[in-house]
Amino acid sequence: MTQRYDAIVVGGGHNGLVSAAYLARAGLRTLVLERRHVLGGAAVTEEVFPGFRFSVASYVVSLLRPEIIRELDLPRHGLEILPLDGTFTPLEGDFLWRVNDHGRTMRELRRWSRTDAEAYEEYGQLMVDMARFIKPILSIVPPDPGRIDPRPWLPVVRLARRFRELPERHQATFVQLMTMSAADFLDQWFETDPLKATMAASGIIGTFQGIRSPGTAYVLLHHYMGEIDGAFRAWGIPKGGTGGISAAIASAAREAGADIRTEAPVERIQTRHGRASGVVLASGEEVEAGAVLSSADARRTFLEMLAPGSIPPEFEAEIRRYKFRGSSGKVNLALDGLPDFTCLPNAEDLEHLRGAISFSPSIDYMERAYDDAKYGRFSRRPYIDMVIPTLVDPSMAPPGKHVMSCFVQYAPYHLADGEGTWDERREAFADTVVDTIAERAPNIRELILHRQVLTPLDIERDLGLSEGNIFQGELSLEQLFFSRPVPGWSRYRTPIHGLWLCGSSVHPGGGIMGAPGRIAALELLKDKRAA
Amino acid sequence: MTAGTGPYDAIVVGGGHNGLVCAAYLARAGLRVVVLERRGDVGGALAESEPAPGYRAPALAHTVGRLHGRVVRDLRLSDHRLTLIRPEVRVFAPQPDGRSITLWGDPTRTAGDLRALSRKDAEAYPGFDRKVRALASFMAHVQAATPPDLKKLSVADALGGVRLVRAFRRLGSKAGREILRVLPMAVADFVGEAFEIEAVRGALAARGVQYAAMGPWSAGTTAVLLSDSAGNDGGAAGQAVFVQGGPKALADVLLMAARGSGAEVETAAEVASVTTQGGRVTGVALTSGRELTAPIVVSGIDPKRTLLRLVDPVELGPTLGWRASNIRTPGVVAKVNLALERLPRFSSEGGGEPRRLAGRILIAPGIDYLERAFDASKYGRVSEEPYLEVTIPTIADPSERAPQGGHVMSVLVQWAPYHLREGDWDAEREGLGDLVVKTLETYAPGLSDLVVGREVITPLDLEREYGLTEGHPLHGEPGLDQFFAWRPLLGLARYRMPVRGLYLCGSGAHPGGGVTGGPGAGAAREVLLDRKAKR
Repeated sequence: MTQRYDAIVVGGGHNGLVSAAYLARAGLRTLVLERRHVLGGAAVTEEVFPGFRFSVASYVVSLLRPEIIRELDLPRHGLEILPLDGTFTPLEGDFLWRVNDHGRTMRELRRWSRTDAEAYEEYGQLMVDMARFIKPILSIVPPDPGRIDPRPWLPVVRLARRFRELPERHQATFVQLMTMSAADFLDQWFETDPLKATMAASGIIGTFQGIRSPGTAYVLLHHYMGEIDGAFRAWGIPKGGTGGISAAIASAAREAGADIRTEAPVERIQTRHGRASGVVLASGEEVEAGAVLSSADARRTFLEMLAPGSIPPEFEAEIRRYKFRGSSGKVNLALDGLPDFTCLPNAEDLEHLRGAISFSPSIDYMERAYDDAKYGRFSRRPYIDMVIPTLVDPSMAPPGKHVMSCFVQYAPYHLADGEGTWDERREAFADTVVDTIAERAPNIRELILHRQVLTPLDIERDLGLSEGNIFQGELSLEQLFFSRPVPGWSRYRTPIHGLWLCGSSVHPGGGIMGAPGRIAALELLKDKRAA
Repeated sequence: MTAGTGPYDAIVVGGGHNGLVCAAYLARAGLRVVVLERRGDVGGALAESEPAPGYRAPALAHTVGRLHGRVVRDLRLSDHRLTLIRPEVRVFAPQPDGRSITLWGDPTRTAGDLRALSRKDAEAYPGFDRKVRALASFMAHVQAATPPDLKKLSVADALGGVRLVRAFRRLGSKAGREILRVLPMAVADFVGEAFEIEAVRGALAARGVQYAAMGPWSAGTTAVLLSDSAGNDGGAAGQAVFVQGGPKALADVLLMAARGSGAEVETAAEVASVTTQGGRVTGVALTSGRELTAPIVVSGIDPKRTLLRLVDPVELGPTLGWRASNIRTPGVVAKVNLALERLPRFSSEGGGEPRRLAGRILIAPGIDYLERAFDASKYGRVSEEPYLEVTIPTIADPSERAPQGGHVMSVLVQWAPYHLREGDWDAEREGLGDLVVKTLETYAPGLSDLVVGREVITPLDLEREYGLTEGHPLHGEPGLDQFFAWRPLLGLARYRMPVRGLYLCGSGAHPGGGVTGGPGAGAAREVLLDRKAKR
């Protein structure tokens, strides 16, 4: 007997779960189908080695929309975010260390440059203002510039009106953020090389761009839009890893009445008379529904889950040219102790290890890492963003042991001819990461008990993200807002009636934000009410 | 040349092509105008140099295909014997493997030629050419308009906006969405979506990085390419238009047009500062100590210099001063002129046919080649394999520019950064010349034996000689961050500078650099509008 639902959500990543929770709360009979045995997609916690639990892929949180936390009452469902304090940039014989304690950061910056310390305050305030101004865009359904209907433009007009009310200097800064490279943008304020490199690093996360590439200042802003308890650009670690977020959202969805099934891979999205009618699972089981929401990326949804010929050829061509180009990898280490950085030997406490540890010593270092990737090699000296969650949440490892998460960029999905395949180069890639760390903390080699390596190919295979792109499509300027994923189809709807996109492939894109999932569900509900 | 003593209605600082265009427009409208040029000759970057006795070469710009048709018509430049030469070939791109790409003015002919390399690319070419033309036609509307004032939209702005919206609508919904998608794109992606052969991609993408401190993988380089084709017959191949007698001949024609309209032009007159009183322009002071008064001063020099050197910092204020100091001017272009005994022969297919060498010859065999050449400049070096745009103007225009049988080769060297990490340009000058000749020698063996004279113009020379900050030929980087309503800065894109009566008419203003006359015409239009409004 075929079952019937009002809505089926393909994929139990955080966005899919958010969609399901909103739909179920509105009274729709909702089913979530997750391919893997765990929920969360890239926001997932797994016990990879006995006793050691890892946020396997995404590892920190800041962007999760406050309205989602509020509306789904996530704290009651177990969401707890532990603050991550500061950024430590180890250098040869020195370091740059910014912490949440303002006075201390000022003293540290003054040690490097007096003018930078002064500019830092002004810059910080400006970025908060910018983030505050642009934040509403995260909840906007992008209008279609190809259509005349003025109604979808209203939220944009409102934003434009607010833009005109900004002081000119803020307006200019906003334009720069939308067009400049992260490095050029920061050059206007700062002179300290490691400071600029470390700050610019958030402009390249998940993109196939260098910190000098125009457009990366936007990604910098994208990472500033996060807030925790109303504090902008505060980053934290969810208790229990990023899977803890997914578990809380799933709990909210279940409470609202959604059914959630794991190990239920969707083989095909069914259509009837040009309408989505349900799904067929790999097991052959069929489930019918009035609407299907896919939280899988645009390529997998349209090119792998639909029968060939289901979508107009022109649309298919546009989907094919939507760019993924995964650029990052992940190395997760189980450690017997803590790394000892030679630039800060015999540190009395471990405070510098409690925040992010950033391998970004200079602009040139970052650019050279990108140069490697442009020609199809993984960076010989990569940018590494490292955190040690066990210092904040000891439950992640056995007593006295630690887990360490290393986000590594660049690791291009497409390796050049002569560079081998990712299956051949996986260990060499991880060795490069360990070597890079060992240059600053030589004891790391003796500490490693186990290591888990995720190349872009692994991210694609294990997590289902095309070309290993962690944002389900590059966050480049031509793939944002009304062009995401393709021009004319940025409004969560698709050419197939009743089929919706609710993952990071649609506006406002990637990160543990939940916004695409929420807006897609609300749009679906709006259409339903109108019908 | 010394002009009269005034009084003047307007003073134009700098006799580059935009300064002359602006002066001509103002004088035609009845204003008493004087142009003050620091050098001994007007024309700015349209200057001419002599790499060897009897050889005359363009000092910087070597083609003029972007000159706005409207400027030519309004100023009746054709009355002054301006003869433009348009060879049927646009681009010849020799490849290291002995093959070559030829882009003709006629896209069908180009597609026919491409068939030998790739059937797919040959088939894609006419469609790509149409797409570039369609998108560039919209860019032409953008270039012709004065950018809106984002602070307070006036009726005129709204009308201008309506015109732009109408032009956007005319594109159709598909092309409309497409232009919004491609404008911020990397040119490598833009050509990569249409073509598979690296050689084709390189030849087409090269225009997107010309004069820019960006590589083909930098976002926004598609906008540079489309701007280059805006309002002219460039299409996908880009134009190749020469002035008979060389770029200097155009400078002479513009000078005649300005004088003919009644403007005075004074050379060897360097402006030291713009004088102001109570937030208003009162005139200029020359380095000689002489002062000229006028209620309007139009600056044809770059915006950074205009704001930071000519204007009193107190008038500018600290915030604007800081913003002006951050206008990006990373000059990366050098020039090498070669005097040749006779026409060189390129060893790749068709490289012996003068008709293929009459346009722009590109040493840009592929996206990776371009990107690597750009990479070097990021670290303050010149690549051992630079991107070169070469013209041999004497093929299409043999008039008195070289001795009998001889030829002039004009080479734009891209990604020669103003800031060298090691050494300085005065020491590296000849090294750059050697590098260019060596690079060309690999494509045209025997070339070095033909060289009878050589001249190297470094970014530092461009700064010293023409007053271009950091030697940037476009007065400011053509990036998305210095475009349209925020060129040179947001709030200053409407040609009016922060001091009342001061205007900008050079390449640092909208629609930007290149020999277009666009900024000169745009500034003149706004000056006249303001005067009308005051009456």
